[in-house]
Amino acid sequence: MTRTGPDEETLLSAARLRWMNDLAGHGILITDAALRVRAWNRWLEEHGGLGADAVVGRNLLEVYPELEKRGLDRHYKWVLEGQTRILSQRLHGHLLPMPTDASLSGFSEMQQTARISPLIHDGRVIGTLTVVEDVTERVAREAELQAQVDARTQALAREKAAREEAEEANRLKDEFLATVSHELRTPLTSILGWSNMLLAGGLSEEVRDRALETIHRNAQSQNQLISDLLDVSRIVSGKLRLDLRTVELPAIIESAVEATRPAAEAKGVRLTAVLDPRAGPVNGDADRLQQVIWNLLTNAIKFTPADGQILVKLERAGSQVEITVRDSGIGIHPEFLPHIFDRFRQADPATNRVHGGMGLGLSIVRQLVELHGGAVRAESEGAGKGVTFVISLPFVSFEGASEGAGRLPLAAGQLEINCPPSLQGLRVLVVDDEADTLGMIRAVLEHCKMEVITAGSASEALGAIAQLRPDVLLSDLGMPGEDGYALIAGVRALPAERGGRIPAAALTAYVRAEDRAKVLRSGFQLHVPKPFGPQELVAVVANLAGRLNEG
Amino acid sequence: MELTERQRDAVSELINIAFARTGAALSELSGHRVLLNPPEVSIVPTTDLPAALANFIPGEVASIHQVFGGPVAGDALLLLNHDGALRLTDLLTTDGQSHSSRLDESAREVLTEVGNILLNACLGMFGNLLDVRVSFSVPRLHVETLNELLGSLTAGDGGPRYALVIYTAFQIRDSSVRGFLVMILSVASLDRLIQEVEAWEERQGRS
Repeated sequence: MTRTGPDEETLLSAARLRWMNDLAGHGILITDAALRVRAWNRWLEEHGGLGADAVVGRNLLEVYPELEKRGLDRHYKWVLEGQTRILSQRLHGHLLPMPTDASLSGFSEMQQTARISPLIHDGRVIGTLTVVEDVTERVAREAELQAQVDARTQALAREKAAREEAEEANRLKDEFLATVSHELRTPLTSILGWSNMLLAGGLSEEVRDRALETIHRNAQSQNQLISDLLDVSRIVSGKLRLDLRTVELPAIIESAVEATRPAAEAKGVRLTAVLDPRAGPVNGDADRLQQVIWNLLTNAIKFTPADGQILVKLERAGSQVEITVRDSGIGIHPEFLPHIFDRFRQADPATNRVHGGMGLGLSIVRQLVELHGGAVRAESEGAGKGVTFVISLPFVSFEGASEGAGRLPLAAGQLEINCPPSLQGLRVLVVDDEADTLGMIRAVLEHCKMEVITAGSASEALGAIAQLRPDVLLSDLGMPGEDGYALIAGVRALPAERGGRIPAAALTAYVRAEDRAKVLRSGFQLHVPKPFGPQELVAVVANLAGRLNEG
Repeated sequence: MELTERQRDAVSELINIAFARTGAALSELSGHRVLLNPPEVSIVPTTDLPAALANFIPGEVASIHQVFGGPVAGDALLLLNHDGALRLTDLLTTDGQSHSSRLDESAREVLTEVGNILLNACLGMFGNLLDVRVSFSVPRLHVETLNELLGSLTAGDGGPRYALVIYTAFQIRDSSVRGFLVMILSVASLDRLIQEVEAWEERQGRS
């Protein structure tokens, strides 16, 4: 051996010291048994803001008085008794207060875990060793991870809810289709049955009358159903457009009441209307509002037994106008009240069998009222105690009320034709390629003492306008050769003195909102969906005639 | 080896004192009242431990393990089932709602601290009783199956060993989390412990 050097113990001891002081990625703090600081490594200097020279030799609890305040000095006492202590981040946050970059982690104090162990020599505790680890980033990362897990859990829950909702909607749609097809077939059965018997002939006059009446009633009911369905589909697809004007409600309610009165009387139900004329105008679509009242009234009649009563009330309630329809009918179970405006819901299938109908009407009522910025609610004290429907609509001040009542309310369901005297002698040109339709229209208009000119094609009609100068024009749209659109284009191309401004209505089976828009854009004043009743036809002509004075 | 009724009572009483200290320490830490149910004590050979614990701890076990040495030497463990471990950390550190579905780092640390306090209180109690200094290793937390855990404890070791099994439950905010404290000792260590416990019990009886 020629070389002598430090022994292994010296080497290791130097290495330990070097590692502890300069290289360790943790804070290392050594005290003696009196808790005087004996070692304070570089990591603590860098993170704690205190240099070793400022700390070493001083009592730890004096350097950090808050250790006592936070009760952490006890841990050192236990360690001095020989125990090992762990100070977890979640329970303590930190052992030694050290600032951290708050913008990165959201903490202003470094989050630490600390392990404090006794230093034992010859069976005696001669000091403590504290190892401090910065876990700020780890805690922040875990919190973020937990947030992600929570978010994913919530997303899954939302997805599940959405899927269930979609399944429920699908189920309702299936039920809906089943109900629709059932409801459409029901009136069709009597129509087919009775018409077969009529065609076979040999019926007494009395039976024939009953057959016709039944067919008529069922056709009307089916017609109502189809318009309801179309209304629902328009409303659902957002295609329903309101023709908003200032509307006087008493007239509208009255005509709805008159339209439904025959049905009420036939059933022995008394129908009373108490209308406050001071209730004031609302901004609305007269046809649609009338439809709302009509739906509520037919609903009330349907569910009110003989000798029952229905009261319609119109009154002002603050800034609202309230329409109340109260019946003394079978009432509604409170549990069902929230669903009463749902589509195709009736209290129970058994009721459905007895009372027919699919409960589309009330759904339409709510949708239409809401489109008007109003609200509708139903109240019932329970089964057998009747139902009260209350519609509230925002009242409009009198400015703009001079626009008048807008389009004439059309009374449906009336067989008797009410002829306004002002229409007598009016010259009406009717264009349709269907002889049956032409015949029906002619009969109705002539019943009201109007002069009717008919044309089977667009060119025939243009000739008639030039020669006979009719007051108003009613035209079918779908005709062979030139159609109704071509006709109105030709008419509007004429100078005013040759009939170019004649008020015109399109009578058509194209009843979608876009059809209506196209009709009105092309030059017609009114779009009249087929089928229409005689009274509606008269009202249309009256409306057109009313425009004669406008220009 | 079995405990007589008197020995069992004496061990239970001693551990109950350690539990009271642990409960007080945990109450102070968490700001909620923490109680530990009176211990149910038994002694089983380590070979019977799987059967003794399996019914209570199916699935994964969280264990806080400290090796202790000195005149009495062995392994001390706090065992909790996985759900219990989660619930205990939630009860001690949050508003008591279950926030986490896994034992993350910080939950594991809390458990380690709780185990450390409990094990130190019990071992410290025995150390004082025997008037010996017991030295402790740093506590370690493991999450594994019971078999894996017991395998690691009983492997490669001469001589039969016994386990002092202490069953208890942490009572926090109307909730209860059950757990086992297990101390694995050599026959000699256990004998010595029981002798000292009996002597203590007699001293108590006299005074």
